[in-house]
Amino acid sequence: MAAILTARHVTKSYDTGRAGRVVAVQDLSLDIEEGEFVCLFGASGCGKSTMLGLFAGFIQPTSGEVALRNVPITGIEPRCGVVFQSYALFPWRTVRGNVEFGLKMQGVGRAARRVRAQEFIDLVKLTGFEDRYPIELSGGMQQRVTLARILAASPEVLLMDEPFAALDAMTRQVMQEELLRIHAGNHKTTVFITHSLDEALILSDRIVVMSARPGRIKAVVTNPLSRPRHVAMQITPDYLALKASLWQLVEAELAHQDETSQFVPSPAD
Amino acid sequence: MTAAVAAPARLTLRMTMNTWLLAINFAAVAMVLGLWWLATGRGWIAPIFLPSPGDVLDAARIKIANGNLLTDVLVSARRVFLGFALAATVSIPLGVVMGVWRPAKAIMDPFVSLLRPLPSITWIPLSILWLGIGELQKVAIVFMGSWIYILLYTYESTRRVDPLLLRAARNLGAGDGAVMWEVILPSALPGIISGLKVTLAISWSCVLTAEMIAAQNGLGALIWQAKDWGNLPLVLVGMLCISLTVLLADWLALRLERLLLPWERGRRG
Repeated sequence: MAAILTARHVTKSYDTGRAGRVVAVQDLSLDIEEGEFVCLFGASGCGKSTMLGLFAGFIQPTSGEVALRNVPITGIEPRCGVVFQSYALFPWRTVRGNVEFGLKMQGVGRAARRVRAQEFIDLVKLTGFEDRYPIELSGGMQQRVTLARILAASPEVLLMDEPFAALDAMTRQVMQEELLRIHAGNHKTTVFITHSLDEALILSDRIVVMSARPGRIKAVVTNPLSRPRHVAMQITPDYLALKASLWQLVEAELAHQDETSQFVPSPAD
Repeated sequence: MTAAVAAPARLTLRMTMNTWLLAINFAAVAMVLGLWWLATGRGWIAPIFLPSPGDVLDAARIKIANGNLLTDVLVSARRVFLGFALAATVSIPLGVVMGVWRPAKAIMDPFVSLLRPLPSITWIPLSILWLGIGELQKVAIVFMGSWIYILLYTYESTRRVDPLLLRAARNLGAGDGAVMWEVILPSALPGIISGLKVTLAISWSCVLTAEMIAAQNGLGALIWQAKDWGNLPLVLVGMLCISLTVLLADWLALRLERLLLPWERGRRG
C-alpha cells in the first residue's frame, strides 16, 4: 500500500498578538495509507483540528509540507472532502440540493446529478426527505446530509472533524454504525478527529494519539479489533481490556508530556 | 416522532392564546372608537379640533364614491414603486460589490457618511430646481430617501455570510463565480429582503412629504389640501388611508418574502 496523504515535518504556529506566537502543531510527520481509517485522538487544543485544516488546504503550514499523492497541498483541496462538526449545510438548499452541490460544481448535468444524489441520499437512509430544508431536520439527520453531500462529490480522502461530537449519545452510536457500514462498502481513506477513545477504537484502523501545546504525535497505535465491528462490542471483556491498556498508554504519554513541560507535581502525589 | 405527538396539544394551546389576544385587540380598538364617539358626540371636544367618527365616515364615503380616493392611492403608490424599484436596482448590486470588494466600499464610504444624515425632505429644494414639480421629482425624492438604506442593508447582509459555508463550498469545488451565485447571494438574500421591507415604509414617508410640499394629487396632497380647506374629516380620511395602504404594502412584501425564501419559513414558525 502507498501513502495517499502525508505530512512531512509540519509546524503550524499562529501569531495571536499580545499572547505572542502559539505553536498549534510542531514537527509532525504522518503517512496515511490508501483506504485506511485513521483517528486523530487527543484533548482539545492538541492541534488535531489544525492538522485537518492543513490536509483540507484551509490553512498552510508555517514550515514543512502536507501532500496528497506526493503533490503538495497549497490551496483548498476538493479531493480532500471535509465533514464539519457543525454540518455547514446550505440552509437555502433542500437535502437534494445540498447533496447535488459538489456534482454541480463538477459540471455534472441536471439529470445525472439527480440520479447520483439519490444514490447517496439512499445510502445515508434519508430517502423520503429529499425536499426538506436542513432546518427541518434533526442534528443526526443533518450530519447524514453532510456525509451524503461529501460522498456524492467523491473526494479521494474524507476528513471528518469531530462530526458526531454535537450529537446525543444514542444518535452518535447510530452514526458510528452507519459510518462503519459505509466505510466497509467504499473503503474511502478517512482521517477522523475525535476526543473519544471509544469512538477511535470502534472506527479506526490506526489511532494517532496527540498531545497538546505544542501539538505532537505521542503514539501511533494499530487497532487490533477485527472487522466487521459493531457498537455492541464495546461491552465485551476483550474490548474493555484493550481500552484499559490503551488508556494507560495515553495517560503515560500525557504524564510524560507534563514532565517535559516542567509540570510540578503537588506533594500529595 | 415525539414532536408529532406533542404538536396538537401545543397547537391548541397556542390557538386559545391567539384567540384571546385577538379579542383583546378588538376590545382595545372598540374602546378607543367608543371614547372618540362619546367625546365628540357629547361636545367634550369641539369639531374644529376633532371631527366625529360619523363625519369621517361620511367624508370617506364621498371620496370613495367619486373615485378620487383610489386615484390618490394609486398615484402615490406608483411614485413609491418607481422610486423604490430604482433605488433597489442601483443599491443592491452596489451593496454586494461593496461587501465583497473593499475598494468599492472605500469609494462609497465618504458619500454614504455625508448623505445618510440628510432626510429626504432636504432634497426638495434642489429636486424642484432640477426636475420641476412633476412625477420625476417625486420619484427622485423617494429614491434619495431610500437608496442608502437598501445599500447599507445589502452591504451588511453580504458581509455576514458564514465563513464556514464559504469553506464548505470551496471544499466541494466551487470557484469564485459559484461562491458568489450559490453562497454569498442566497445567504445575503434574507437580510436584503428585510432591508427592503424596512425601506419600503421609509419610501412611503418620503412620497408623502414630497406630495405635501408640491403636488396636485396623491395622498400627501390630499391631506394638505384638506387642511387648507379646513376639512378636518378629510384629513383624517387621508391619514387612515395612508396607514391602510402602507399596511397592505407590508403584507404584500411579507407574502413575496415567504415565496422567495422557502427555507426561512421553518425559522419563523
